[in-house]
Order: sequence, then C-alpha cells, then structure tokens
Amino acid sequence: MTDLPRTQHIITSGAIAAVGITVAYISYTQEPAAAFVFPRLIATVFALLAIWTFVKALLGRTKVGQGVNGQDMRNLLPGLVVTLIYAFWAAKELGFYTATTITFFILLTLYDPAPHTEAKTWIKRVLITAGFMAVMYGLFAMLLNVYTPREIFS
Amino acid sequence: MEFLYYMGDVFTPINFGLLLLGTIGGLILGATPGLSPTMTVALMIPFTFKLEPQQGLILLGAAYTSTVAGGAVSAILLKIPGAPANIATTLDGHTMAQKGEGAKALQISFIASAIGGLFGVFLLIFLTPVLATWALAFGPSELFWLAILGVTVIGTLDSSSVVKGLLSGCIGLWLATIGFDDIMGAQRFIFHSSVSGGINVIPALIGLFAIPQVIAMFAKGRSNVDAEIIVVQRHPIGAAFREVFSRKRALAIGTAVGSIIGLIPGVGGQIAGLVAYDQSKKMSPESAKFGTGHPEGVIAAESANNAMVGPSLVPLLTLSIPGSPTAAVLLGGLLIHGIFPGPALFTQYPEVVWPFINSMLVGQILMCVFGLLIAGWAANVARVPRAVMAAVVLGLAVFGSYSVGHSMGDVYVMAALGLAMYFLERFGFSAAPLVLGLILGPIAEANFMQGAMIANATIGQMAYFFTGWLNWLLILIVLASIGYSIWMELLQRRYTTKEDAQA
Amino acid sequence: MKKWIAGAALALTAMTGTAMADGHGDYPERPVMLMVSYGAGGATDFQARIVTMTAGNEDALNMPIAILNKSGAGGRVGWNWLAGAEADGYTLGAYNVPHFIAQSIEGGVDYSTDSFEPIANWGADPAVFVVGADSEFNSMDDVIAYATANPGGLTFSGAGLFVGHHIAALQLEKAAGVELAYIPNNAGGAGAMRAVIAGEVLGGVNNLSDAFRAREAGTVKILGVFDLERNSFIDDVPTLIEQGYDIDNASVNYRGVMVPAGTDQAIIDHLAAVVPTMFENGRVASRMAAGGSPMHIMNRAEVQEMWAQRQVTLEALLADL
Repeated sequence: MTDLPRTQHIITSGAIAAVGITVAYISYTQEPAAAFVFPRLIATVFALLAIWTFVKALLGRTKVGQGVNGQDMRNLLPGLVVTLIYAFWAAKELGFYTATTITFFILLTLYDPAPHTEAKTWIKRVLITAGFMAVMYGLFAMLLNVYTPREIFS
Repeated sequence: MEFLYYMGDVFTPINFGLLLLGTIGGLILGATPGLSPTMTVALMIPFTFKLEPQQGLILLGAAYTSTVAGGAVSAILLKIPGAPANIATTLDGHTMAQKGEGAKALQISFIASAIGGLFGVFLLIFLTPVLATWALAFGPSELFWLAILGVTVIGTLDSSSVVKGLLSGCIGLWLATIGFDDIMGAQRFIFHSSVSGGINVIPALIGLFAIPQVIAMFAKGRSNVDAEIIVVQRHPIGAAFREVFSRKRALAIGTAVGSIIGLIPGVGGQIAGLVAYDQSKKMSPESAKFGTGHPEGVIAAESANNAMVGPSLVPLLTLSIPGSPTAAVLLGGLLIHGIFPGPALFTQYPEVVWPFINSMLVGQILMCVFGLLIAGWAANVARVPRAVMAAVVLGLAVFGSYSVGHSMGDVYVMAALGLAMYFLERFGFSAAPLVLGLILGPIAEANFMQGAMIANATIGQMAYFFTGWLNWLLILIVLASIGYSIWMELLQRRYTTKEDAQA
Repeated sequence: MKKWIAGAALALTAMTGTAMADGHGDYPERPVMLMVSYGAGGATDFQARIVTMTAGNEDALNMPIAILNKSGAGGRVGWNWLAGAEADGYTLGAYNVPHFIAQSIEGGVDYSTDSFEPIANWGADPAVFVVGADSEFNSMDDVIAYATANPGGLTFSGAGLFVGHHIAALQLEKAAGVELAYIPNNAGGAGAMRAVIAGEVLGGVNNLSDAFRAREAGTVKILGVFDLERNSFIDDVPTLIEQGYDIDNASVNYRGVMVPAGTDQAIIDHLAAVVPTMFENGRVASRMAAGGSPMHIMNRAEVQEMWAQRQVTLEALLADL
C-alpha cells in the first residue's frame, strides 16, 4: 500500500505537467502574439512548477496528499457516475426538475444506510425528494424566474 | 452628524417595513448559491420603480448589506460560497460546522459582519472626502502591483505546500485567460464551446468548493452514520460576543483590510475576505490552527467582507463613478429617480442619501439580530444525513451555476472543475489559491496591458510601473510577502516530522 | 417503486408544464427573456431595464421581460450566445450598434448582421470627448494641437476595442490626420471615465449620458460630440463637425431589441408592432430623461436600414486598420 500514493502522485503530477507544457506550447505559438503576452508569462511559471512537482513525485519526495485508496474509490464510483450523467447529460436532456428528482432519489438509495427492505425507508426517501424539489421549484422557478431547459414530460 | 437628523426617516412604518423586507430578502437570496450580491440587488431594482426615491434606496441599502452577510450562511453550512467574498469564510467556517460548531460559526460570523459593517459605514459617513482621493490613487500600475500582491498570497493560503499552492494558483491564472481576452477581443484556449465565453467565476467557485465535498461524502460509502454522529452544540449568544471581542487581532485586521481594499475600484469586494484571512493567519501566533475550524478565520473573513460595503460606495457617491458592479447597480437605482450622484448629492438630496446610509447602519444591526436568531436552528443542517446532504448540495450546485447565466456551459464547467478538484485535493492541491488566481488573473492582465499602453505613449514602461510612492509601497509589500513565504517554507522543511514524510 | 418516481416527476412537470407549452397563437404565453451583453449596472443594462418595465401592460406584451446579463469581451460573449440561442421568440437580445457590427467585421465571432433580426431601437447615445475638469484643454483644437506636437503621445481612454468609442477614436485620428494613443479600458465606460477623472489619461471618449452626469458632478469638461447635431442634454457643446473635423454619426451607440435569425416571422411582426409603442410609454420616457439617457425610437424597417448603412461605413473605416 505504501507505494500506491507514490504511483498516484506520479500520475496526477504528470497529468498536470502535461497540461502545463501544452498550455505553454499553445501560448508561444498562437497568434495574435499581443494577446498572449500574459498567458506566456503564466504558462512558463505553470510549466516549470508542474515539472518540478512531477520530478519530486518521481523521486518519491512528495510529502502532502494521501491519494485515493481502493475502498474510497469503490465507494465513490457509483455516486460519481450518477453525478456525471446528471450534470453532463440528464439535466439538459430530461429537464432540470425531472433529472434532479431522479438523481436525488438514486443518490439517497445508493448512500442512505437505512435498510432497503422496509417500506418506511422508501416512503421517507420519496418524501425527502419531494420536499427538496418543492423548495427548488419555489426558489428558482417561482421566485427567481430561472428558465431551465424544457422538461421531457411536457 | 447630519445622519442622526435623518435617522427618524428610517423608522417610519413603511420605511422600516421595507428595511425589514430588504434585510430578510437579502439574507435569503444571499444564501442562495449562484446569486451574487450584485445580482440580488439587481433583482430588487424593479421593486423600487414604484416606490419613492427614499423608500427605494432604503430597500436597496438594506438588501446590499444583508446579502453580503447572507453569503456566509451557505459558505458555512454547505461549503458553497455564494460569491467570491465568502471563499475565505468556507475555510474555517465549514470545518467548524462539521465539528458541530455550526451555531457558533454562524453567530460569530454575523457579529463580526455587523462590527466590520458598522465600521465601514461610519467611514463612509465621516471620511468620504478623504477616501475619495484614495479611490482615485489606484491607476493601472498600482492595480497591477496590487494583483501581484494577491498572487504572492497564493502560496501560503490554505495549502500544505508552497509549491503546490503556487501551482494551484497558476492553474487558476491560466483558467482565467480562457475565452476572449478583455482588451484585444482575441480568442484564447477555447477547446470546447462551453468555455467560449470564458470561465465564469461563480459557477467555478461552486464547482471547486461544493463538488469535492459531495464526492468526499460518496467516498465514505453506505456506512452507518451512528458511528460518527455529530452533536450540534448549542452556543449561547453572549458567549459568541465574548468570543468575537476576545479575538481582537483578527477583528481589527479584518475590518482594516476590508475598509482599505473595499475602496479600490473593481478589486475590493472579491479579494477583501481572502487577503484579510491570509493576513490574520500570518500575524497570528496560532497560525497552524487556521483551516482547522479556528474562529479567527471566520472573524477576519466576515468582518472584512462587510467592512467593504460602506467604502465601496465612496467613489459612486462622491465622484459618480461606480467602483464595483454592485455600486453600478445601485447607481441605476438612483438614476431611475433622476438623482445624480456627485459632490452635490449630499446638499441636493439629503432626504434620500442619509436615510440610504442610515438604512445600511440599521440594516447591519437587524441582519445581525436575525442571523443570531436563526443560527442555532440553521446549524442543525450538520445533522442532515450524509446521503441527503450530498444530494442537496449537488442539486443546489447544478441549479445555482445554471441560474447565473442561464447556460448549460456553466454547469459543465462547474461539474468538470469540481471533479478535477476532488482528485487534486487528494494530492495536496487546494481550491482557495486556484480561485484567487482565477479572480486576480484578469485584474493583473488588464491593468498590465493598459499600463503598458499608457507607458509606451508617455514615459516608458520602467518609469511608469516604478515611480510614485504607492507603487513602491506595494512593491515592498510584495517583496515582504514573498520573503515571508520563503522563510516559512524553510522553517517547515527543518521541522518536517517523520509522519509528514510518510503521508 | 417506479410508479413513485414517475409520479413525483409527473407532478413536478405538471407544475412547469403550463409554462413550457409550445405554439405561438397567443404569443407570448410566458415571460420573455432579454439578453444584455453587458454587466448589471452598465448603461445598456440600466436602459434595457427601464424600457422593458412596462412590458407586462395589456397594451404591450402582456408578459414581463426579464433581463439576463451575459457580459464579457466588449459584448462578444453575449452576442455569440444569442446567435446560437433557441429562436423560439422568448429569447430576445439587446444590440449595440456599431459595436456588434464592427466586431463581426473584425472577425473571430460567430455572428454578423445576418445572425439577428432587428425589432426596434430605443436609444441613441452619442460618443463625446471628455477631459478632466482641471485639464488645460478647452476645445478639440487644443487636443489636436497637443497631439500634433506629441505624435502618439495623447493618451485617451474608451470602453474597449471595436466598440463605439473606438470607432470615434479612429474617426478622429483620420479626420485630424494625427496619431493618438487610444487606451481601451477593461472596466467599460465607467472604468474609462475613472481613468479620465483620476488623470491617468489626458482625455477620453465616453457615452454622452455618463459624461453628462460626470459634468453635473463637476469632474469633467465635455469638448465635443461625435454626432451630426448637438444634443439637447448638452446643447452648449459643439459637434466635431462644427469644430472643423469631418466626422459623422457612425460611432453613435444605438441600442435596441433584436431576436436571433430563424425566429418565426409572425412573432417578429408581432414584436415589431408592439415593442416601439412600449418604448413610447410616457413613464419610460420620463425615467429615461431623469437618468440622462437620450431616447431615439426607430421601427424595424428604420433599424434594418441603419444596420445596412453602418455595415458599409464600418467596413470602409476598418479596412484602413
């Protein structure tokens, strides 16, 4: 296990270094040059710091950050997938209120420790979801007049 | 003392009713993720169309005062900073709420807000003519150095490693350059259509702070919460007052920094809280406690935020130049009634200006009273089961970032930055310096470009950026700040314990 | 259990459903959104909020208009968004001419005059030349004399590149035959005005409405108007033409309402008929006058003609750059 964070540190700092180098490369090659004076300055410092961090990670001298362990990863993966689908697809395609209702309920089901076998659990989950959605609707649709994308059921 | 003469106007039944409405409305809207104080005040403008000028301005003054403090509620309880002003509040405030000290955090935040706010408004009342010249003293070169000073804060702000702090800051500075550049109009780094308009600060804030916390809750899994049930501690209001007044250093630094920085047009409101937080951390003998739920962090950040409110109106009321976006909206509220701000304002329309300023004084106190009333009750948010909390914060984050500009692009940016930030945080990077870079980038760049253009047309760049006592003062502070960071890094290295090396 | 989910979702969509219904027989059936490509509190935003305040009246749209601010890069962010927005008749935008036309000629944006359909014009805000109240310049001749003596050394501020102020600056450079140092400000008209008052620059081009207010506050002098005629708010200030500089009204900032191209013709016709009368409302006029904002109402046909004219003038002016 001791080596896991080190590998992870190498991967993340390597990714950041790659971003930094790409940004620097783009800054120095893009036109008009006058608009890239400041990005060049930033990108240079960015790339240098990123490479330094990467080298430190390679040498195993990174002191801070405990990484992500396997148990955490297994726990967060379902939630992460639901979040990704919700933010990048469902909110737009199903409509905010429909997508949020579904996501909210799924997340409760996934992470609420109450036993799935009891009817009481399910009623509680439905009520919480309905309550939350009522507050969101009142606040954003009625009070603030936010026009969200079209709902799929309308 | 003319303001006392008009104090009575604030307490007529209709005016006081509007004051209450503005305060409560401002608190609720300020606590809504995605609604910055500027938008909240803009939302209230239509209500003032039908009111008398005096009444309209009382409503706006109260609303402005309380939205700034309202932002602290979501920052402390949900770790969603409503506006850049509340970033520093999340650092210690949310940690306190997690420990069950939410009531205490909210109480001291409201008390510190009111003290800072009252001080700021008194500055506006008594020192306006002096402050007006100060507001004009900051030209492109001074603003550039000020932004650089902000950048030097990055390394030491809420980060366990100076290098990683600086790297986080650089990522933020780079993110800020995405989109059209503000002066030339050239497109930069637009790799996806969602960022074609640049990265909007508020969705970015929501993503960077709220989403990592949601994922961290997922990471704890479907475990039973009984094992770590949070006891929400009750906290007597008297004790909160004693707490705030015993932390005189943080309170004084916060109030002073907020008042001074609040005056500087275009910069103040966004960074006052962070700079005050960083300064009190550096000057505190217990600087290690910052970030772990230390009351001083909340006091410094919130007193600075509200101290900024009064001075930020000085350029508007005296020179007719709105110094901040919120001041610009308030200008609209004045113009709509045919009132032109300027030196003659106080003699031509005293019956409007003084009640407006008084409404901010009384509003500070009312805001504090309401805040203290709800604090004990609101702190129970910490007892909400983890699964529900994660889902609530996620929903609010999506709705909040969408409502800023009615744009799905903002939601995508929010979610993408949030996901990336979770993993970055696991490797020693942190969100606060990244956000500071995102805010300071455009200020530094635009003022550098403008300064360079003026300099090229006149006295040359070296002479332009390195003359004048204010430039040199700022440069010296920049050097001192960098020196301090290096010294701290060296000290840390010497005392690095075995545990740290393994972690 | 699925029933529960579907039920909850249906209940919710029923609430939003009525607001989302399609078809434009009774247009508009829900509040309409007006995108303003400058921040809340800017001159365009302020005026847009006033001219749309009576939209909910029965003789107007019978539905309120909500303002949505999408600011950034001199308006490019907002107009790019509008060019790709849903052309459903509920998404309107505020235009600023010559800004968006000049930007589309310069390139790098997703819009041109063909991307939008004008509805009506509400205001015309000429550019003026301002100097600090204690400046030694008292006429445009003084300014140009200084610029002739110091080529490229006369610094003056404006709200950005390829906006009305920049057009005025280019026209001045051309008409006077001198080299000037135009400093675009990132904080828009307010920031440019601040630079003049603080003495960071020797002069500035700014909106008449803002300059009028600043002069009332005693912080600036107005030396000339970039328009064909003097303006009633400041009728003591001569035009540039009167002072011997051949400069027309190409830089005058026209503000009005437009919709994305592709919007249903019936909706465009309805809006084109109703919106100008909404601008003519007496309450609107008195509020605009109180705020020092000059009004200039034009119908759809007049705006179309004005856009076409500007396209030609600006192409000629910017070709020299």
